[in-house]
Amino acid sequence: MAGGRDTGSAVQRQIQQDWANREYIEVITASIKKITDFLNAFDMSCRSRLAMLNEKLTSLERRIEYIEARVTKGETLT
Amino acid sequence: MATSVTLEDALSNVDLLEDIALPDQQPCIEPPPASIVYQANFDTNFEDRTAFVTGIAKFMEEATVHAKLNEMLEEGDEYAVMLYTWRSCSRAIPSIKSNEQPNRVEIYEKTVEVLEPEVTKLVNFMYFQKRAVDWFCEEIKRLCHQERRRDFVSEAHLLTLGKFINMFAVLDALKNMKSSVKNDYAQYRRAAGFLKKMADPQSIQESQNLSMVLANHDKITNTLKEKLETIPGYEEILADVINICLTYLDTRMYVTPEEKHVLFKVMGFGLYLMDGSQSNIYKLDSKKRISLSKIDKYFKQLQVVTLFGDMQIPLYSYITKSPHYEENKSRWTCTATNNSPSYNILEQLQPIREEHTKYISELARHSNEVVTTAQKDSPRTDEENKELCDLALRGVQLLSSWTVQLMELYSWKLVHPTDNFSNKDCPKEAEEYERATRYNYDTDEKFAFVEVIAMIKGLQLLMSRMESVFNEAIRRNIYADLQDFVQIVLREPLRQTVKKKKTLIKSILTSIRDTCVDWMRGMEPTDDPCLKGEKDPKSGYQIHVPRRNVGPSSTQLYMVRTMLESLIADRGGPSSKKTLRKEMDGMALTSLDAFHKQSFFYTHLLNFSETLQKCCDLSQLWFREFYLELTMGQRIQFPIEMSMPWILTDHILETKEPSMMEYVLYPLDLYNDSAHYALTKFRKQFLYDEVEAEVNLCFDQFVYKLSDQIFTYYKAQAASIMLDKRFRAECAQHGIQIPYPPANRYETLLKQRHVQILGRSVDLNRLITQRISTAMQKSLDVAIGRFESGDLTGIVELECLTEVNRLTHKLLSEHVSLMDFEAMFREANHNVSAPYGRITLHVFWELNYDFLPNYCYNNSTNRFVRAVFPLSQEVNRERAPPNTPQDVYGTKVLNNAYGHIYNLYTGFVGSPHFRAISHLLGYQGIAVVMEELLKIIKSLIQGSIRQYVKTLMDSMPKICKLPRFDYGSPAVLEYYYAQLQDIINYPELKTEVFQSFREVGNAVLFCLLCEQSLVSTKTPSQEEVRDLLHAAPFQNIIPRQYVKEGEKPEAKMKKLEQKYQALQVTSVIEKLGTPQQAAIAREGDLLTKERLCCGLSMFEIILTRIKTFLEDQIWHGPPPANGVMNIDECTEFHRLWSAMQIVYCMPVGENEFTVEQCFGDSLNWAGCLMTILLGQQRRFEALDFAYHILKINKADLKDDVIKGVNLRRMCDRIRKFQILNTQIFATVNKYLKSGDADSLPVEHVRCFQPPIHQSLASSC
Repeated sequence: MAGGRDTGSAVQRQIQQDWANREYIEVITASIKKITDFLNAFDMSCRSRLAMLNEKLTSLERRIEYIEARVTKGETLT
Repeated sequence: MATSVTLEDALSNVDLLEDIALPDQQPCIEPPPASIVYQANFDTNFEDRTAFVTGIAKFMEEATVHAKLNEMLEEGDEYAVMLYTWRSCSRAIPSIKSNEQPNRVEIYEKTVEVLEPEVTKLVNFMYFQKRAVDWFCEEIKRLCHQERRRDFVSEAHLLTLGKFINMFAVLDALKNMKSSVKNDYAQYRRAAGFLKKMADPQSIQESQNLSMVLANHDKITNTLKEKLETIPGYEEILADVINICLTYLDTRMYVTPEEKHVLFKVMGFGLYLMDGSQSNIYKLDSKKRISLSKIDKYFKQLQVVTLFGDMQIPLYSYITKSPHYEENKSRWTCTATNNSPSYNILEQLQPIREEHTKYISELARHSNEVVTTAQKDSPRTDEENKELCDLALRGVQLLSSWTVQLMELYSWKLVHPTDNFSNKDCPKEAEEYERATRYNYDTDEKFAFVEVIAMIKGLQLLMSRMESVFNEAIRRNIYADLQDFVQIVLREPLRQTVKKKKTLIKSILTSIRDTCVDWMRGMEPTDDPCLKGEKDPKSGYQIHVPRRNVGPSSTQLYMVRTMLESLIADRGGPSSKKTLRKEMDGMALTSLDAFHKQSFFYTHLLNFSETLQKCCDLSQLWFREFYLELTMGQRIQFPIEMSMPWILTDHILETKEPSMMEYVLYPLDLYNDSAHYALTKFRKQFLYDEVEAEVNLCFDQFVYKLSDQIFTYYKAQAASIMLDKRFRAECAQHGIQIPYPPANRYETLLKQRHVQILGRSVDLNRLITQRISTAMQKSLDVAIGRFESGDLTGIVELECLTEVNRLTHKLLSEHVSLMDFEAMFREANHNVSAPYGRITLHVFWELNYDFLPNYCYNNSTNRFVRAVFPLSQEVNRERAPPNTPQDVYGTKVLNNAYGHIYNLYTGFVGSPHFRAISHLLGYQGIAVVMEELLKIIKSLIQGSIRQYVKTLMDSMPKICKLPRFDYGSPAVLEYYYAQLQDIINYPELKTEVFQSFREVGNAVLFCLLCEQSLVSTKTPSQEEVRDLLHAAPFQNIIPRQYVKEGEKPEAKMKKLEQKYQALQVTSVIEKLGTPQQAAIAREGDLLTKERLCCGLSMFEIILTRIKTFLEDQIWHGPPPANGVMNIDECTEFHRLWSAMQIVYCMPVGENEFTVEQCFGDSLNWAGCLMTILLGQQRRFEALDFAYHILKINKADLKDDVIKGVNLRRMCDRIRKFQILNTQIFATVNKYLKSGDADSLPVEHVRCFQPPIHQSLASSC
């Protein structure tokens, strides 16, 4: 009987250890998930900001082209 | 190198990530971004079962079987995918036309080479299905064993068996449907046979078997049925399976759509399997073993389920196929083809909307709490966790129910295609798939479809944003529930069983406990009274249950639930009357039941992210392998018009429904779902490629249509704003409505800068901007093109079009970044690097070829009208460029309205036209036009006019007197008629000569009116004033400032002057530019400053310039003989003009045109102007023949007809022309400044000696 209890408690300890281990894995998983979410949000935010920047640059480029055409008579600026 | 970081630091670092602000301006109208998808899967498929030594051996054994079955199911799924996505290879292989074909062997070899890997798969499939059938029957046999039959079979196990049944149904149906599989195999066999590949008897046998499996319809089902029928009592197990499905449906024990549909299919196919030679489902029903009426009810509700992909199965077909159907027909109602209300999506829509709103608001509350209490120190309470967990479960269930709604409607529609009879839009020759998709939904259904998709995808986004929160709450809640259950709830049943010495139940209970318990101290407290069957002490017995953020493992959960089930199950046939349930205490049972029920959803919740994705998966709306197979190779792929995602997207675009516009990206997202499915589930590159190709095509179409629409929308809006309000009101009074364009929601779409499609990020705003830019440029081009295709009167419309475009540009610029309007306009006008634009050139061209020769001026209306008959030849203009309504005013109605308005301006050229010209041409353009006009005037005066004057002067009488009054007016007229005979009869006078004068007159008047429109205060255009104001800041003109008390205005002005010094053009250019540039700047500055101050006039310059053209002798004749002036001699220009005046003053006959009609007042303008410029105005006024006649006639008031000329009428005309001439002289003199300074005439006075009579002279 005593032996039975011992193995019983050993199993109980093992199961507790298993819970602890899995909780640890869970914490890590949740953290990875958070990092993933962050990266996705970061990606979106960057894309949006880069798009804005791109738009500004494009419009500036077009302006320069236009002004260049306005001030020159046929030849391009060097 | 690697520095070690503690776990706490690492975790806090992760938490800190949340604090980083990641602004994203775009409104969210698309599904969650998926650049990175992270899904952890902890399902071990019972690999860890041996670790649970405390479990009951029987269930461990079952777990082993379970694992094996799961693996087979997975394999079966792979074969199903293989069959479903099978595309015929044999059709692509060149066929052998004759036995003599030289490359015959080569073709066969290649055929074998190509098909061999595919055939290997088929062989494997054959073995698999055999193995699966054997295994399944083996399992059924085991369970049906006399001894086992009494035992309890767990729900999970029955369900897995159900899944097997489903797998057989699917595999068999796919095999039946795919004729291309059979064809490919036949081709392979022929080739292999020719090459003698299959020589050994074993492979011949194998090949034979495979052909049989492939060729025989329902081979798997039949084999299965045959084998099952050899097992006594197999129907009992199947009845259990069917009952469990029914129970699950009754209690809504399913989450994902697939789970629900599997239940249906298992019931259908299960009944078919059960009804055979050995058993009869109707007998089972009467024994109350199964309930056919309940099943019938379900089948009536849901008539069609997805078998696989786009292959659907009407559920009643299983029933009608079964052998005992005929005699029991009347018991089924689901076989009647009536519509189930669940397929009326329009009716379902309202409840769905309500659910959506309700759930979203609830979610929003929680989501706000999460945001605002992110920094909360204490973790959530158990109640909060439970609430969140429930919320998550309800969320996925809602999503699943909506997805189910859509997919079921889609399935039903696939099975019930429309035809020409029920849908008039559907052409008779429409193909099968088209009838099932394209023409099968009406407008409202499509909108409802889109709306539900939007709700699904929208909610999915919201929920996935809260995934971390949900995950933690779910895990904590499940952990708490589970531990509370095993540590606290189970105490009472334990106590009872110990007390009543029910060892079996006790052992199961302890087993449940030991399998998953997580004691506070790592060990079970030994002093718990319940273990001894004793009551708790009065003070109560305290157990501290720990809390963790983790759920049970998959095996653990399975073990706990199965063991628990064995206690509470009351299922089973008549043979299993003795259940453990009856031995349990009622109170304990309820708590066990409750836990068992709620723990069903743990698996789904623990895999929240996967469940969420499955519940929102609409990928099957795209796959159409079944229908492709039906076309027998006629179609390689269907066009986008038949593809559901595009049908829905296009529907929104075509109807332009404002409330749907913001949803337009959701149907496009279906491609994401499908592509994801093709890559991860089907794992077929070609399917992905096809999705991708379709997306490429659709997205182009989408952007094209959308940008076109947006441009038209804003154009129409601008044109509606600009449209005259009174015109609109007037139209409305006459019952003509010019509607304002309905407001639409393009703003949100225009803010999209990263649309996620197939893993690409598309800047929608940029794509639309590009197209809108082009459209804008084109519409400006069209506006100018239209002007170029018409006469000068079109300038007013051009101005209006420019303004409409300017407003469109302004409205659009709020959302997209376009080039400056001026820049675009210049580009369209070809005026960027060239000095003069298309408009200027065309204005000049029109002036030269049409305006000057053909228009008549009217001095009293200040307008030009076209002469009644043209004297110059017809002008050929370029054709207007082709255009669509949106290139002009936006819509046909608006084009029509504006057309009517601007039609009013086509009959004349007047102040609106000059205003438009001065506005559109600008200083530079006006300057060049004037310069060119001066050239024309010069060439006319020094060319044709001079020539004619010379000729006519010769025919003038040398002397022409002013006869005395005594003769009477008729005689005087007769005198002049005689004197001027030659002039009057000169044939070209009334044509060529007058025409030349008219052209000069028109040119001069054009300059005059242009100037007036530039500076006139009468007209609303204040071009110059505006220009001056704009120039002021650059010219050191600072408005007077408000001065506080004690402040010196001079000092303040000085300060301001200093502040704006950098703006001053002249000083800056003097500093930085070349001397030449500095000089230009100074001149410009001076000109601008003084323009209004001293009334610089352009017309004055023009007059001075014209004066220089008149230096020829011919205009003045020889100097007067008397040294003072000519009186009777006809040598000067004004005498000729007087002669002409006589000519044009003569009244004309009834059907003749007067000079005014032909040449207008421009003629007089030219004559008077030249007279003035030659300094002959006074002499003209004093000595004019016509005036003389008038004067005499005024006195004698005689009337007569002389040589066909009515004297009175002639005098009337003379009077009118005299007034006109006076006006012209006054106007021109005003500009010449000869009239305004009183001192001027004095200067010009030459003092002559008074004439002395000869008699007196001699006497002196």
